[in-house]
Amino acid sequence: MTHKERTNTGEGPDVQFGSNAVRLSMRDWVIATSIVLLVMILTPLVWKHLEAFDPQTGFRVPYDLSDDYWTYQRLVDRTINDKRILIIGDSVIWGEYVDPHHTLSHYLNELDGETRFANGGLNGTHPLALQGLVQHYAKDVKDSRVILHCNLLWMSSAERDLQTEKEMAFNHPRLVPQFVPGIPCYKAPADERMGIVIDHHISLRTWVNHLRVAAFDSLDVHSWTMENPYANPFERIRLESIQLKDAPHSLPIAWTKRGIQPQDIPWIDLDTSLQGQAFRTTAELLRDRGNSVFVIIGPFNEHMLTDESRERYRAMSQQVESWLDDEEIAHYAATPLPSHEYADASHPLSAGYGRLAEQVYEHSEFQQWLRARP
Amino acid sequence: MLFHTWPFLLFFLIVYAVYLPLRRTPLWLHWLLAASYFFYGWWNPLYLLLVVYSTALDFFVVIAMERSRRKKLWLWVSLLNNLFLLGFFKYGAFVTQNVNDGLMHLGLNYALPSPGVLLPVGISFYTFQSMSYTIDFYRDNIDRERSFIRFATFVSLFPQLVAGPIERAKQLLPQLREAPRVKSRDITDGLSLFVVGLFKKVALADYLAMYVDPIYATPDRYGAPALMLATFAFAWQIYFDFSGYTDMARGVARMMGIRLMLNFNNPYLATSLGDFWSRWHISLSTWFRDYVYIPLGGNRRGSFVMYRNLFLAMVISGLWHGAAWTFVIWGALHALATMATRSAERSTWYRERFPKFVKQILVFGVVWFTWIFFRAESMSDAWLIVTRIFTAHWLDPALPLLALMLVGAVWLYQFLYESSVRQILDLSAVRVALVVLMILYLFIVPGSGGAAFIYFQF
Repeated sequence: MTHKERTNTGEGPDVQFGSNAVRLSMRDWVIATSIVLLVMILTPLVWKHLEAFDPQTGFRVPYDLSDDYWTYQRLVDRTINDKRILIIGDSVIWGEYVDPHHTLSHYLNELDGETRFANGGLNGTHPLALQGLVQHYAKDVKDSRVILHCNLLWMSSAERDLQTEKEMAFNHPRLVPQFVPGIPCYKAPADERMGIVIDHHISLRTWVNHLRVAAFDSLDVHSWTMENPYANPFERIRLESIQLKDAPHSLPIAWTKRGIQPQDIPWIDLDTSLQGQAFRTTAELLRDRGNSVFVIIGPFNEHMLTDESRERYRAMSQQVESWLDDEEIAHYAATPLPSHEYADASHPLSAGYGRLAEQVYEHSEFQQWLRARP
Repeated sequence: MLFHTWPFLLFFLIVYAVYLPLRRTPLWLHWLLAASYFFYGWWNPLYLLLVVYSTALDFFVVIAMERSRRKKLWLWVSLLNNLFLLGFFKYGAFVTQNVNDGLMHLGLNYALPSPGVLLPVGISFYTFQSMSYTIDFYRDNIDRERSFIRFATFVSLFPQLVAGPIERAKQLLPQLREAPRVKSRDITDGLSLFVVGLFKKVALADYLAMYVDPIYATPDRYGAPALMLATFAFAWQIYFDFSGYTDMARGVARMMGIRLMLNFNNPYLATSLGDFWSRWHISLSTWFRDYVYIPLGGNRRGSFVMYRNLFLAMVISGLWHGAAWTFVIWGALHALATMATRSAERSTWYRERFPKFVKQILVFGVVWFTWIFFRAESMSDAWLIVTRIFTAHWLDPALPLLALMLVGAVWLYQFLYESSVRQILDLSAVRVALVVLMILYLFIVPGSGGAAFIYFQF
């Protein structure tokens, strides 16, 4: 170094810090970080006390709040606190074609004479999403009794198994594993995936998502103000209890009246199925948390299948049963309902749910499971 | 890899975790260079070939310059090489298009093929930085850098590689000669800069872009208020975007014990166009001052030559921003406005008695108007916007009040910062409160997903 250059004293050259006064010392940073952490921890906790949540009999997470995992979390908390049995699953458990008072949980309660069963179904939660839901938003489901539904429809094709290489939109992308196992049709950039992983571990972010879904039409506040430029965002925030819609989400019409023809569904090999693996992971996760798990398989609409496809379906169902046997997880593979009691390939209509509840409730293994202590 | 994304955070945590213990060994510079090349290669590994070529050529040109009596010849080799790189990758399509348009007007049935190459990210920044090294050596302002690794790190230092600040060798190279001492103050300062930059980018720039982009994409669908407010919003968007990037770059470098120059200094408080350019993209405006305006004669040869030099420097600066006539017009308008305010300032009455606040508003008004040409997709769009501002109907502009309030709050803060009540802003409680509010706002209000920085395209 010569006279031409400034001597490096270790202090660095004398450059202006910035064009504002926001320059925090170590002490300032400690205070600021503490306040931020405190707000991040306390806000969701305080909000739970401020926002009414009073799930009535037959409560299910409203369809419009399907992406609101905060509400699902609250449902789980309440169910576990009340020592009720959560039935976890997709729209078959949720009750796509029926109102809240004609779902599986409703009919099981009716048979049981108590309100022991809670509808923990969430619309669109295929097994890969269900795995994330249980992993991150149903953490309190431990040392309890829990029913897990297995809908083999998700293993019926490469598309449903999310195995296509072509990018494809699917439900609940925020719940699926973001990195491992790789989901071929999920092409979100690394930044988005990392953000999702981090969000799962910050309850404030779950609360923020709740506000977006519940108050801002599922938009972030910036996007919402673009559509409502002169509205006050604070006025949108309500602390009232969720109002339950009594109507079914889809028209309750039997599949036979929809013009659907029997189909030769290919089915995916369970050993290579991403959804199949996710189902197994979810069952193991629930069991490893000390829960007493009962699995209900089906009832799939076998009337909709060609003979060959039906055979493949049954083999697959038996394969799931064998695995559950090996894992010593109690289960029941539902026998097919009458054809007219299905709305589509996997969703029963109201009468179908009643019949399914009877089948399950009268099954000896279920009774045994129900009587045993978790 | 953008500063405001999770992959960058992960990248930086890994780089920093190795950097801190390594800076006591001779390997720290190698690590910094490797990290910088990884950072740049993340966009496209092929870009690395270009930055390595540019670096190597200028490194060896300076060696040749030192050993040769024909220093000027080697300087031209460096200048032509860098300008050729810029010209080919950045202006190739622009030149071809204009030549083809000319041929068509002459009725000649011939068209040059388009170069069809991608613009490598940050090429305008690192070629200028590298050129400043050869020019400064030629002028005997600096010594030759003996280590290729150090010189390569100077050219490609990852915090400022793709969008500046365009550092000078005299300022940055000495910092790379000794193991940096990272003190706790560097870390806290770096974090402070980073948080402010992150807030500017995510909470402000990206928010305003949501309003600006659709209006500038189809200006014919909007009324005068929307076009005026979209330009107002763009003025702040580009400021928040670029100064936010610079703040983050400076913050990251500061955490590593490296100090980068201030690049923005509340430009919308400027009282003249000259003042504006001493506050806006300072590293670029001083580059043009030192390497274009002064070599052309600066203000030493009378008013006419001074204004000519000013005009040329501004127009070239405009063209630096992008290969389009809109940028040339933008530069020319700035040149004319700078000349006007410089002339006005010769009057004692204007200099001393004209209210400062009015000057600030006037300067902002001029800068606001020129942004139309900077932001418009084409010259025809720019003229359309200017015309519609004066002739179109007054339809509801639908600019979110929240966005307006945020911009207003920042502008007010800047006014206070440069006023006598600055000491209030210096209070620890105020500074902490601002940081807490900014972090919580970032967690709660904006959507996820990081938009690219505007200046990456330059």
